[in-house]
Amino acid sequence: MKKLGLAGLLIASLALSGCGSTGAGAGTGTTTNKEQKTVKVGIIDTYTGGAATYAKDALDGFKLAATETAEKGGPKIEFVTRDDEFKVDKATNWAKELVMRERVDILAGTINSAGSLAVSQYAKENKIPFIVWGGMSDKITGAAGHRYVFSTLPNTAVIGKAGAVQMSKLPYKKYWLAGSDYEYGHSVVNNFWANLEKMAPGVSKAGESWWRVGETDFTPYINKIRSTKPDALVVGTGGGDMVAFMKAITTTGLAKDIPVWVHTATDLSTLAPLGNEAPEGVMGTNPYFAYYPDTPENKAFVDAFKKAYNREPAAFAIYGYMSGKFLAQAIQKAGSMDKEKIVDALEGLSIDTPVGKATLRKEDHQVMLPMFYGTTAKVGGKMMAKDIVTLPAEQIIPSAAEVLKSREKK
Amino acid sequence: MDFATFASQFLIGLSRGMIFFIVSAGLTLVFGVLRVSNFAHGSLYMLGAFLAYTAILWLGQGEAGFWLALLIAPLAVAVIALVIERGLLRFIYKREHLMQMLLTYSLVLIFGDLVKMVWGSDYKSLPVPQALTGSFHFLEANLPVYNAFLLLIGPLVALGLWFFLFRTHLGKLCRATAADREMVDVLGQNSTWIFALVFALGGWLAGLGGALIAPTVNIAMGMDANIIIYAFLIVVVGGLGNVWGALISSLIMGVGESLGVLFIPDFAIILPYLIAGVLLIIRPSGLLRSAW
Repeated sequence: MKKLGLAGLLIASLALSGCGSTGAGAGTGTTTNKEQKTVKVGIIDTYTGGAATYAKDALDGFKLAATETAEKGGPKIEFVTRDDEFKVDKATNWAKELVMRERVDILAGTINSAGSLAVSQYAKENKIPFIVWGGMSDKITGAAGHRYVFSTLPNTAVIGKAGAVQMSKLPYKKYWLAGSDYEYGHSVVNNFWANLEKMAPGVSKAGESWWRVGETDFTPYINKIRSTKPDALVVGTGGGDMVAFMKAITTTGLAKDIPVWVHTATDLSTLAPLGNEAPEGVMGTNPYFAYYPDTPENKAFVDAFKKAYNREPAAFAIYGYMSGKFLAQAIQKAGSMDKEKIVDALEGLSIDTPVGKATLRKEDHQVMLPMFYGTTAKVGGKMMAKDIVTLPAEQIIPSAAEVLKSREKK
Repeated sequence: MDFATFASQFLIGLSRGMIFFIVSAGLTLVFGVLRVSNFAHGSLYMLGAFLAYTAILWLGQGEAGFWLALLIAPLAVAVIALVIERGLLRFIYKREHLMQMLLTYSLVLIFGDLVKMVWGSDYKSLPVPQALTGSFHFLEANLPVYNAFLLLIGPLVALGLWFFLFRTHLGKLCRATAADREMVDVLGQNSTWIFALVFALGGWLAGLGGALIAPTVNIAMGMDANIIIYAFLIVVVGGLGNVWGALISSLIMGVGESLGVLFIPDFAIILPYLIAGVLLIIRPSGLLRSAW
C-alpha cells in the first residue's frame, strides 16, 4: 500500500500541473472595464466519486442563478471549478491555488464536510468569503464558525432536530439507530437522538449499528435490526449509500415490519435513480421538492432549471441556486467588490427563494430555511413524498445563542 | 438469539463471500500467473456493473434482459482486459513492480474519468429481476432470494474455475506458467498468449462480480475503490495467486463480517481487517500455498 501511495502522489502531482494551466481558460477574457463589476468564484467540490451527483446539482443551480442575475443586469458572476475527489488535502490545495493563481474573490463548495471545514480554516486565515453549499457538518457554522464562512444548506443539527420533531409525533418508544460510519451519519443520528430524548421522554435506545461508507450489502445489518424488533429505525446515511440502503429496504421488505426514518428519503436524488425499486412508507425530512410548495416562485424555478438542464431540480440544486442569489444580492447591497463589504452585506441578508424567504442568520451565518417532512409513496405511478408537513426555520434551527455557546467551548 | 436468525445471517454472510470470491479469484489469478498486482481490477468490476446497466437499458427491463446482461457485460469487460494486456501491460512485464503498479494505478484514474464521461455522475439503479425478488421465509427469519441466487452462482464459478485449471490443457498451461515461465517457453509453448488469456479471464471474473452486484447496489463511481481493498485483503490472506485460498478467505470474510454485525455490532466495521490481521499473524504467507 505504501507503493500505491507513492504512485498516487506522482500521478496526482502530474494531474495538478496539468490542470492549473488548462483550467484558467474559463476565467480569462474579460476587459478591464468590465472587471469592476465581475466577481470571480472559485468552486471546490467533489465531481468524481460517489458524491458527484450532488456537486453537479449544486453547480447547475449556481450556474442558473448566475445566468439569471446577468440577464437582469445584476453583477456578473464568473466561476472556475476544481475537483477535490472527496479528499480533504485536495480541497485545501485547490483553495490555495484558486486564491493565489486564479485570484478568485469568493470560495464555494464542497460536499465533503471535512473538506468544507479545511477550506473554511483557510478562508478564515486569508479573509476570503467562503459559501458552503455541500458540507453539512454542524461544526461549519457552529464550533468552527467565523466571520468569513456561510452555510446555505441545513446542517446536521437542523436535520437531526427536524427528524426528532417528525418522530416525536409518533408513538414509538424503542429505537434502533444506524448509519454510515462517517461524520455526516453520526452527526445526524446524534443530533436526532439528543433532540428526541428532550421532545419525547420515555424513548429508549435498543442498539446501534454502523456500516462502512460504500457498503455493498445491507442485508446482514437489516437482518440483525429486524431480529431485535425495535419500534422504529433511524438511519443517518447519504450519497450512494442512501440509494443502496433504500434499495435494500425494498428487497428485504423492512419498512413493512419496522418504520424507518432517513433524511432525504423523499428527495429526488434518492428516488429518481431507484424508480420502481424505491420502498414505500419510508419517513424522512427534506429541504426541497420540485412539486412542493406549489407556488409560482417554485414553479418558475423548476421550469427554468428543466429548460436549462432537462431534468428536475433536487435539494442540492436549490443550495447552489440560493448561494448564487445571495452573492448577487450581497454585491448589489454592498455596491462594491470589496470582500469585507460583501461579508458585511451577506450577514443577515434575506432573499426570496423558490421555497420562500431565506435568511443568512447574522450571528452564525447559517441559512434559515424551512424544512419539510413526509413519507415515500406512489402517487399517480410516481414515487414521491406524501403527507408533507412544513417545519418553519425557527422551529428546527438551534438558536443563535446555542450555536455561539458551542463556539466558546472551543 | 434464535436459531433462524443465526442461520439466515450465516447464509447472508456466505452469499456476501461469493461476490468477494468471484472478484478476488480474478485478481489472484492475475497475481499468480502474470505476477502483476492489478489495481485496476476494481475498475473492471465497476465497468461490469455499468455495462450490465447499459445492456439492460438496451435489452429492456424484461426477464431476459438481466440474464443476457449477465452474459454480455462480463464478456465485454474481458475484451477490455484483453486490450489492456495487449496494448499496455505486456510491455512492462520485465520492468520492476513499482512501474507495473504505476501503470495499473493510472488505469484506475483513467477508468474513473471514463466512467464519468460515458455514464455521468448520476446514481443508477437496476431492478432485481422479477424471478429473484422477494425473500424466503423460515420461522422468524428471512433470506432475500437474490442472496440465495448468489449462493448458487458462487459454487458454479468455483467449479468452472477448477475444471478449467485442472481438467483442460489450457488450464494446465496456465498453472505451469505460474510455476515456471521459462520452462514453459523452452517447451515451445507461447506463454505471452497465456498471459493475455489469464488477464482476460481475470477481467471476466471482475466483470461478472460487478454485473452480479449491480441489481442490489447503487451503480456509481467509487464502486471500484470499495471493492479493491477487500479483494487485495482476501488475496493476501488466501495466499497470493492461490484461487482456493481466495475462496476460503472470501467465505471467512463474508461470514465473519455478517456474524460480527449480529453479535458485536460495535466492532463489525473493523472485523474484516481484524480477521485478516489475525490470520496473517498465524500464517504470514497466506492460508494456502502462495504462488510467488
